[in-house]
Amino acid sequence: MNPDFYSRRELLRQVGMGMGSIGLSALLGQEGQAALSHKTGLGDRLNPLSVREPHYRARAKRVIHIFANGGPSQVDSFDYKPMLAKYDGKELPGEHLGTERKTGAAMKSPFAFNQYGESGLWISDLFPHVAESADELCVINSMYANVPNHEPSLMLMNCGAPRVNTVTPSMGSWINYGLGTENENLPGFVALCPGGVPIVETQNWRSAFLPGAYQGTHIDTKNTEIEKLIANIENKKLPRSAQRQQLDLIQELNRQHQATRSQDPALEARIQSYELAYRMQTEATDAFDVTREPESVREMYGDDMQGKQMLIARRLVERGVRFVQVWHGAGQPWDSHEHIEKNHGRLAQESDRAIGALLKDLKMRGLLEDTLVIWGGEFGRTPTVELPTPGANGPDTKLGRDHNHHGFTMWMAGGGVKGGYRYGSTDDFGFKAQENPVHVHDLHATIMHLLGFDHEHLTYRYAGRDFRLTDVHGEVVHDLVA
Amino acid sequence: MSLGHLPIPSIAVAATILTLTVSGQRSSHAADAAAGEAFAPEQIEFFESKIRPVLAESCYECHTGRKAKNGLQLDSRAGWLKGSDYRKIVSLEKPTESLALLAVKHAGAKAKVENMPGKGEKLSDESIAELEKWIAMGLPWPEDKEQLTQERTKGGNHWSFQPMVKPEIPAGFSGNPIDFFIDQKLSEAALKPAPKADRSTLYRRAHFDLLGLPPKFDEVKKFVEDPRPDAEVWPELIHRLLASAAYGERQARHWMDVARYSDTRGYEAGGRERRFVYSYAYRDWLIRSFNEDLPYDQFVLYQLAAEQLVDRNKPEELPNLAALGFLTLSKNGNQEEVNADRIDTTFRGLQALTVGCARCHDHKSDPIGTVEYYGFYGIFANSLEPKEAPVIGQPKAGPEYDQYLKDLAVKQKVVDDFLEPRLAELAKKFPELSTRRDQLMGKLEREDRRKLSNLERVVDKFIADAKMEPDKALILEDRAKPIDQPVFIRGSSSRRGDIAPRRFLSVVGGEDRPTFQTGSGRLELAQAIADPKNPLTARTIVNRAWAQHFGEGLVRTVSDFGIEGDKPSHPELLDWMAIWFVENGWSMKKLHHLILTSEAWQRSSTHPDQGKPGANFAVTDAENRLLWRQNRLRLDFEQMHDALLDVAGNLNPKVYGRSVELLKPPFSDRRAVYAFIDRQNIDPTFRIFDFSNPQEHTGKRPRTSIPMQALFMMNGQFIQQQAAGLIAREEVKSAATPEAKIEALHRAVLARGASESDRQLGAKFIQQIDQTLASLSASQTLTDWEYGFGGVDPETQEVTFRRLETWTEDRWQAEKEYPLKNDPRSYLMFRRDGGAHPGNDAMHSAIVRWIAPRTMKIQVFGDIIRSGHVINNGDGLTGKIIVAGQGTVLQHVIPKESTKQSMTSGVIEVVEGDSVDFVVEPNAHASFDSYNWQPEIRNADDPVERWNYSVQFTGPADLADPWEAYAQALLGTNEFLFVD
Repeated sequence: MNPDFYSRRELLRQVGMGMGSIGLSALLGQEGQAALSHKTGLGDRLNPLSVREPHYRARAKRVIHIFANGGPSQVDSFDYKPMLAKYDGKELPGEHLGTERKTGAAMKSPFAFNQYGESGLWISDLFPHVAESADELCVINSMYANVPNHEPSLMLMNCGAPRVNTVTPSMGSWINYGLGTENENLPGFVALCPGGVPIVETQNWRSAFLPGAYQGTHIDTKNTEIEKLIANIENKKLPRSAQRQQLDLIQELNRQHQATRSQDPALEARIQSYELAYRMQTEATDAFDVTREPESVREMYGDDMQGKQMLIARRLVERGVRFVQVWHGAGQPWDSHEHIEKNHGRLAQESDRAIGALLKDLKMRGLLEDTLVIWGGEFGRTPTVELPTPGANGPDTKLGRDHNHHGFTMWMAGGGVKGGYRYGSTDDFGFKAQENPVHVHDLHATIMHLLGFDHEHLTYRYAGRDFRLTDVHGEVVHDLVA
Repeated sequence: MSLGHLPIPSIAVAATILTLTVSGQRSSHAADAAAGEAFAPEQIEFFESKIRPVLAESCYECHTGRKAKNGLQLDSRAGWLKGSDYRKIVSLEKPTESLALLAVKHAGAKAKVENMPGKGEKLSDESIAELEKWIAMGLPWPEDKEQLTQERTKGGNHWSFQPMVKPEIPAGFSGNPIDFFIDQKLSEAALKPAPKADRSTLYRRAHFDLLGLPPKFDEVKKFVEDPRPDAEVWPELIHRLLASAAYGERQARHWMDVARYSDTRGYEAGGRERRFVYSYAYRDWLIRSFNEDLPYDQFVLYQLAAEQLVDRNKPEELPNLAALGFLTLSKNGNQEEVNADRIDTTFRGLQALTVGCARCHDHKSDPIGTVEYYGFYGIFANSLEPKEAPVIGQPKAGPEYDQYLKDLAVKQKVVDDFLEPRLAELAKKFPELSTRRDQLMGKLEREDRRKLSNLERVVDKFIADAKMEPDKALILEDRAKPIDQPVFIRGSSSRRGDIAPRRFLSVVGGEDRPTFQTGSGRLELAQAIADPKNPLTARTIVNRAWAQHFGEGLVRTVSDFGIEGDKPSHPELLDWMAIWFVENGWSMKKLHHLILTSEAWQRSSTHPDQGKPGANFAVTDAENRLLWRQNRLRLDFEQMHDALLDVAGNLNPKVYGRSVELLKPPFSDRRAVYAFIDRQNIDPTFRIFDFSNPQEHTGKRPRTSIPMQALFMMNGQFIQQQAAGLIAREEVKSAATPEAKIEALHRAVLARGASESDRQLGAKFIQQIDQTLASLSASQTLTDWEYGFGGVDPETQEVTFRRLETWTEDRWQAEKEYPLKNDPRSYLMFRRDGGAHPGNDAMHSAIVRWIAPRTMKIQVFGDIIRSGHVINNGDGLTGKIIVAGQGTVLQHVIPKESTKQSMTSGVIEVVEGDSVDFVVEPNAHASFDSYNWQPEIRNADDPVERWNYSVQFTGPADLADPWEAYAQALLGTNEFLFVD
């Protein structure tokens, strides 16, 4: 190939101006433009997945986002509020904060809190296995979002969308757009969700105006058959040996076709994509087959859905998948409007062991260093009890908590964040972020920072505007960075 | 109406006025001041020495640039005059009352003015006095390159806002005028264009471009062999293609990207019906309009205001109502979001302007203010969707339809029976509302509303599923008394600014453009867009057409002609074509004909000199913006899909109709334009192939090559079905020799005969894969496992093994009938979960066979498990593991009462091809002998490698025929998927 075929001027135009530092937008949308991918050569301008360097040194190379969808309660998990117990059954003092539904008096947590690790982080009985890795956790107690409703909050957490209808790409898509994938034999962005999809559905992992290559691949982890996990991964009519012969024929015909035409990276890129796809068949099958893990490892994660999911997540990041989202389940499982003790108890029991195992396993393999693990929901829950509302959840609504966007907790681990660290706080009752509040946009800015990006400069020009994950907001919380 | 073109300077002033209007006080006086009053040098000196340092020290941290707090920018005079997003901060008339002064004096509590500076100490009394003096002077500021004004002025001479001017073409020029402009630039750049492509290439290119379908071999041949000159046959061919119904389908799909077409609204909470039901009527209207070559100006008018143009007494005009789908097929959401979507689709789609940017603040680069945005908002806010969509077609009368109506009535009655008594009750309670049904509905209890919505949902779903309703149009109607709409400050409906007049774009209509008079103003908006003098309309559509034919527009940002957009590569050509287009009756067909008959379009995509020493293409124009060759393009999703169906002989040529499920088996035989598009959950396959995002207007799709696309071509069931279709084609099936088959397949797929090399490669491939498949088809499955029965010779330990022949749903068994009466194989079967049953005697034991894929050491794990009722009734089993050449390596007699027997072996050495048999014999009798056994074999040296009975359990392999594999390969070639 003749690199002079691409004009230097065009290259500079894209690097230097307007297109964001990556400038990929132009490459993807427009044929005949220069390649910026310095690593893998010219054909890659058509290949949106090839590896790219971030703006500066990255602390994290990949992300596992454990999504406790529905909204886990902070005051029952990672935000210890002794005052809440004192006010149990009483009206909370101070301003009344509106949430989705009516709530009443303060309700103490039915779960006991203890201090863990050298850091002495307070963690409730809900997460004993996670607590074993307390010294890895960077707990943000002062998260806040915009509204107390699932749909807009999911769109905010996943896509940085200021409004529910603003069609912006998801975080995983942005990250793949920025970094490409280290393993083209697997999708760069995988969303694991057993039994169906969360609410707002596939919009949670949409690529929106970014090319479709960046959309999340949804895997229903309830399925056990690989062909149900990834579309077209298996050939039912040709065994691998015969398929190779078929592919060799295609490639020979492609080479002859190309020989009579002037060089064209689009043709070359397609030839390469076939070889990648061929390898993907083996690699993807392997990646999702947790039975290939030694018994001891499977046992550590637990022989259940969450155990299987977390193990798949580890196998995926290990193989270079850039962004793995692990949803607790379809719908909004963590949405405990009623019976917080029973429901949160069950949900935590389902996931605690697996998450704890994931943290330890990543650490053991040296992966935690540059893998950012994020845990949390789209918001938290009220410290007050939700009042029964006719027509809401039935008349027996009781002992649950309502949505709370004013203050909630998320934690991160690995990937360059401080371990055994607690940042920010809510008021005395865990209702509203008070000290060092961190908006979801700030969290995004910080995640991008950890991945080596200036969040204001990872942009994509669309509809007359340079879009970015953080809309027009976001401040990096440098205190979280180790 | 008149759309005169205003002199340029007025735009700058106009924009400033807009800004001030937003801030709450309409004052052209202040605007004049902003335009640059001259201040005395000593006043400037005062500012520089006393004021600017204070501002820099105490204000700039928060109040400069894009992110200025409350939108208040204090680093320019214009910023001071504009004030915050909410109100003005200085009064030139009454300087002492300026809010800015209250703020720094910490005296603004009453007026709800925050104390300033927000950070740090209060300003000194001296500084405050100086500020007061400075405001009283009228804010002297040095020769101020005021940011805001400057930004707006930029719009003044921006190319796309200028009137179109038709350039002269020299009298002596006799070719296609397009070539005059293209060749002029090429010769200026000293680039020699590529020669014309050959006839077969051109035929294929035109076919895919205009129809989105592949050409037929015979047609190409006839065209290539036509003795008449190109000048005669080529225009004739283009005419013929433009007359094909497939042309309208192809064009409609392009437009559906512009119109963010979808068959669903988007996300609906609580399981409410998402389908539009009548979205297809809009698509049908598009197809018909393109095929009938509806002039583009009318095409625009109908899509924005059809209900005001159609005479509803004339049945033949009714279908035009469906044109409003352009607006009504919008994303759901609250009214603000719906209107925002309609504004965006209208302006990016028809005017190539990103008006949506002005929703929360004045457009950052284009001269479009929020007040203009909310003027458009007012138009759509006063355009309502009537409850009943008007009927525009006839139902399919007949017994089926009658039955449908009956069923519907039953379902509807449930709703009525619920609702009517409640409404009657409410009418008693609120007699003043008794005639206002809508208002009564509003009085329903929350619980009743919820129940009602659940009941209505059932009806909605029934209607959508039944697909029996006659065609209807989703229209808009103007509110009887339009309500004036205020600006929403920062896009927030709770912060209302001044009323925004409903009128057209200032960059087109000028500052003194009239306010729309009729109804919502939507028809007038449509007319302003369809105006031949509108400098954006014709340019936008001509550029879209160009992009369709060359893969790239003359302006590459096809939906953004604003200041930040791309500049036209050939501005004169763009103008010439735009004016020509209007002069030629806005005819899309004429436009396509013009472009396709140009030499530029007909050039080869390969330049003979490219890559040769001294060739300067790379240096001069690597991007081919000057069009020294044609661009080679990969088929887009729809072209590819339709081409696959077509060459396989599976394409249904039917035009029009309701949407179909495209990508789920059994696959539809219809063109991709008829695909059911689910906005919320679009099938990922669409987007893998760069399909447009149906959430929003799409001007241009990306073109990527990713492995997921290749997986679809290698393994997809759809592609396999088309490969099977290909070899079932009569001329392929009846071809007597391999050579003839290869020839027939090449003709069908590539519309050309096979070359010598094609024949050799093909013959070699068939021979190879035939061998491979033959060796495999001897086995039952494509895994290392087989499922059968037989017996073990007690002396030699040899196993007689016969495969089970029948796969039923999820299991292997002896025959379709189960159990078999009077047959020793009676209850034999195997399931994925390990469930199994032996035959009636030891010679019909259940045997699962595993064939070692290579020589290695293995260990076998697993248990035989028997459940309760078996134990109570059966007489036990015998389990054996037998390795070829080694005999029984493990044997356990499992007595009647045993529930579980471990069948874990020691380490066994196996040679490639060895069988390992898992045998279960009945004891004295076979009744109640069902058991569960999921053996797993592990590589003893690498236990991570394993073969699990359940994981690998599968039905019979349905192997491809060698010719099917060959046909599929041809479908996967670059030659098939690219257009030269």
